Amino acid sequence: MVLLVILKKMIKNIKFIIIILFSLFIFFIFLKGLEKPNNYFPEKNLNKIETNLTFKKLYDQKEVLLLELINNNNFSIINIWASWCLPCRDEHIYLLNLKSTDKINIIGINYKDKKSNAVKFLSDLGNPYSEVLTDLDGTKSIELGAIGVPETYLVNNKNKEILTKYIGPLDAVKFKEILKIIENEKN
Amino acid sequence: MYGKKVKLRALFILLIFLSVALTVFLVFKSLEENVVYFKSPTEVKNLPELETNKIRVGGMVKKNSIKTNDSEINFIITDYKNELIVNFKGSVPNLFEEGKGVVAEGFLKDRNYLKAVKILAKHDENYMPPEVNEALKENK
Amino acid sequence: MSNQIGNYSLFIALFASIFLIFQSSNSIRSKSKNLDSKIFSALSVQSLMVLISFFSLIYAFIISDFSNETVYNNSHTTKPLFYKISGSWGNHEGSLLLWLLVLTIFLFIFLISSKKLLNKYRLLTILFQELIIIGFLIFILFTSNPFLNLFPVPKEGTGLNPILQDPALAIHPPILYLGYVGTSIIFSSSLAALVCGMVNKIWAKHIKKWIVISWIFLTIGILLGSIWAYYELGWGGFWFWDPVENVSLMPWFCLTALMHTIIVLEKRNIYQSWTIILSIATFSLSMGGTFLVRSGILNSIHTFANDPSRGIFILCFLFVLVLLAIFIFFIFQKKIMKNLSKTFFVSKETAILINNWFMMFFLSVVLIGTVYPIFLEVINSSKISIGPPFYQKLIVPFLIPFMLFMAVGPKLKWIKDNLSKINLNQLVLLILSIIVSYLLVKLYGVNYLFIIPLIGLGFFLFLLTIKDFFSKESTLSQKISHFGFSLFILSILFNGIFTKEFTSNMKVGDKREFINKTIKFENLKIVEKNNYKSLVANFSVSDGKDSINLIPEVRIYNQPKTLTSEADINSTIYSDNFLVFNVIKDDGYYNVRYQYKPLMMWIWFSIILISAGGIISYFKKDD
Repeated sequence: MVLLVILKKMIKNIKFIIIILFSLFIFFIFLKGLEKPNNYFPEKNLNKIETNLTFKKLYDQKEVLLLELINNNNFSIINIWASWCLPCRDEHIYLLNLKSTDKINIIGINYKDKKSNAVKFLSDLGNPYSEVLTDLDGTKSIELGAIGVPETYLVNNKNKEILTKYIGPLDAVKFKEILKIIENEKN
Repeated sequence: MYGKKVKLRALFILLIFLSVALTVFLVFKSLEENVVYFKSPTEVKNLPELETNKIRVGGMVKKNSIKTNDSEINFIITDYKNELIVNFKGSVPNLFEEGKGVVAEGFLKDRNYLKAVKILAKHDENYMPPEVNEALKENK
Repeated sequence: MSNQIGNYSLFIALFASIFLIFQSSNSIRSKSKNLDSKIFSALSVQSLMVLISFFSLIYAFIISDFSNETVYNNSHTTKPLFYKISGSWGNHEGSLLLWLLVLTIFLFIFLISSKKLLNKYRLLTILFQELIIIGFLIFILFTSNPFLNLFPVPKEGTGLNPILQDPALAIHPPILYLGYVGTSIIFSSSLAALVCGMVNKIWAKHIKKWIVISWIFLTIGILLGSIWAYYELGWGGFWFWDPVENVSLMPWFCLTALMHTIIVLEKRNIYQSWTIILSIATFSLSMGGTFLVRSGILNSIHTFANDPSRGIFILCFLFVLVLLAIFIFFIFQKKIMKNLSKTFFVSKETAILINNWFMMFFLSVVLIGTVYPIFLEVINSSKISIGPPFYQKLIVPFLIPFMLFMAVGPKLKWIKDNLSKINLNQLVLLILSIIVSYLLVKLYGVNYLFIIPLIGLGFFLFLLTIKDFFSKESTLSQKISHFGFSLFILSILFNGIFTKEFTSNMKVGDKREFINKTIKFENLKIVEKNNYKSLVANFSVSDGKDSINLIPEVRIYNQPKTLTSEADINSTIYSDNFLVFNVIKDDGYYNVRYQYKPLMMWIWFSIILISAGGIISYFKKDD
């Protein structure tokens, strides 16, 4: 009750009202400001995979054309990962699950990594990749339009087009989305 | 005696009011003069009129585009849609590298050419991109 | 193991916090005369628990326990021990834990040092402070827990950003936080004093110590940050008006104003409301700074890891505290005794008010310059930045009257004085200084609008404060700080005027002429170190008679892969020779920047003098 009386009195106080309104205004501006990403993202309108992009394989160090690996199934996944990258560990289980569907081949690009660490990572956690390529200095990934690890691209094998890009680790939602795309195309 | 006090107080409030007005006026006047707009190469391309004030252009340093001679550094900023040639005399930060993010501050000569006076490269406490970091936290 | 210990002790601290909030509000209601011993023990437990969790984090860093996610993300086995330890607060999670640690320890110290004061006041301060602590605890535990487990345990960590592997930066955050957190005590206790209706001389005397100590830490913290920027960032400057730097400067202005105002409250028992407003503002700016830096809302070149959810939490928390403070202020404002003692225009009170005016002006400039881009982006989505000219244009001219008042103000007496005190001596000194500055400017042909009065007033303040050391007016701490400030302005001015810069792209063996100097790129060596590889260059700079060798480095770290440039700086008391080089590309060219910077040492030294004034005031016996 007492509080109510005080509040009523204060509402009449112009100074008080102005200050409260002003601080609420600042609050909402900051809140809005938080929603805007401040970092620069490349908006590469890349749909097709460049024809001349070559990589070295992780295990035998042979040079291959990325395009040549995109065949077999209707869809491929290109996954950029590194053994030092934490979120990559989290998404690994989804990649293994995708592999077990046998409807898709997964190409891994090992980003700025040591060979021994990468091999150990795969032998510890399992290898979902049909082929593992290496990108020691990270430049090849940039040509694919990547800005960090992990990133996952879903590629349509017929016209070699990138359908979706996932920035950050795969999760249950993204996983289902990928499965849905694959299933739909089949029918 | 009391009258004097009231007068003093009135004068005081007037002074505060005046100085606040003065501050606001000065600050906003020089804000207008010293604002540097940030654009991407695509936005530079689409400018209705060529900007004559100092601007900042941000993007990636295009691969194999850095050319150096005795006094200048030339390179291309790209946002993968459009490109902008940058000419720069001066010192670059150590995060300046091909394929990395960069911000160049300077004056536009035309829609494809920037004469830079300062090069800034972004550095991050963590070198994974922030949205990855965020996703990581969500997964926990 | 240390993960669990750290985590559980934080939870115990959280329970202690909840208990303390209930217990202290109960005690306030029951109007008890003595402090409940439960409160004291709960507070001790809380401080101890936070201390334990902080040490368990440090321990995890020392033994490189990579089952801890924070350690994995920020450390590496090959890192030197010193940086392993400093790495524990060099990241987001750890730095918050450090904040929390200082918060609890400061509250504990407050409790011990306030025994003579009113019980209700102490309880209220504990209550407000615990509200802040609980906010931080929740924030740490649920959005940025430093004790997250990682499984499977990685063999190796990803390393600490090498740019942060630096002694100045290792101690910079803790010192700055001591300053920031000190303002939280000022905030809580001023609200408590307001509620108790004891915004008076006794309270002023008590809280002055906290204000001074926070101010000292904040000043030294800012100094360390600038020193780091000077030799690590390789731009040859020490202050760039970058938002992250501005954020530490804003509470400093506010705190400096408060430090002067509190003296008036202590001596004359006036300006009560204003003191409370300043206390609230100082803390809001410190917290707001954390928000701006940590949320990634700022477009800064030193961006930190951003995470919007964290930002929203700090923002809401900050505004809850600010709104609470505003409500309390308006409800209890009437309790402030109207002191009707007479004040005259020419008096120390007015002089201090003028100081406050300048501080508020500088603060507004920096504040608007920092947040204006955020506002504009929200309102019409244009991305802008505000460059150093904005700040220089607005701040530099105002330094002229500022220094004049700074020289004369401390000489005035309390209550009433007259201007006839400004005697011939001082006038002569003023004219003399302006003549000297005029001659200097003419001699070196400097072309800048305000330079003559600036240097003139700088000299005037310098000479007058020296003269004051022999008089008995005002206190020693004031004299030292003001003298330090005059030295600071003078060194910055001369530094700015006489700095010479040269940049070029050079190959090994190249020679370049610059004014009367010859810069030669002698050789380049590659040195393998424990946790990095280093390109060590050797440059000689000669001006015909003397020749010095400068040996800057470019370090290539592997964990994480980063390049850093280590400038080589040859410092003497007269000038610094600064040389930094950088790899552009593998084509033989190196980007070289050479700077001749006079009086750099004096800039650092003068800031140390300014804070020394604070230190003397802190240890001074109360009269």
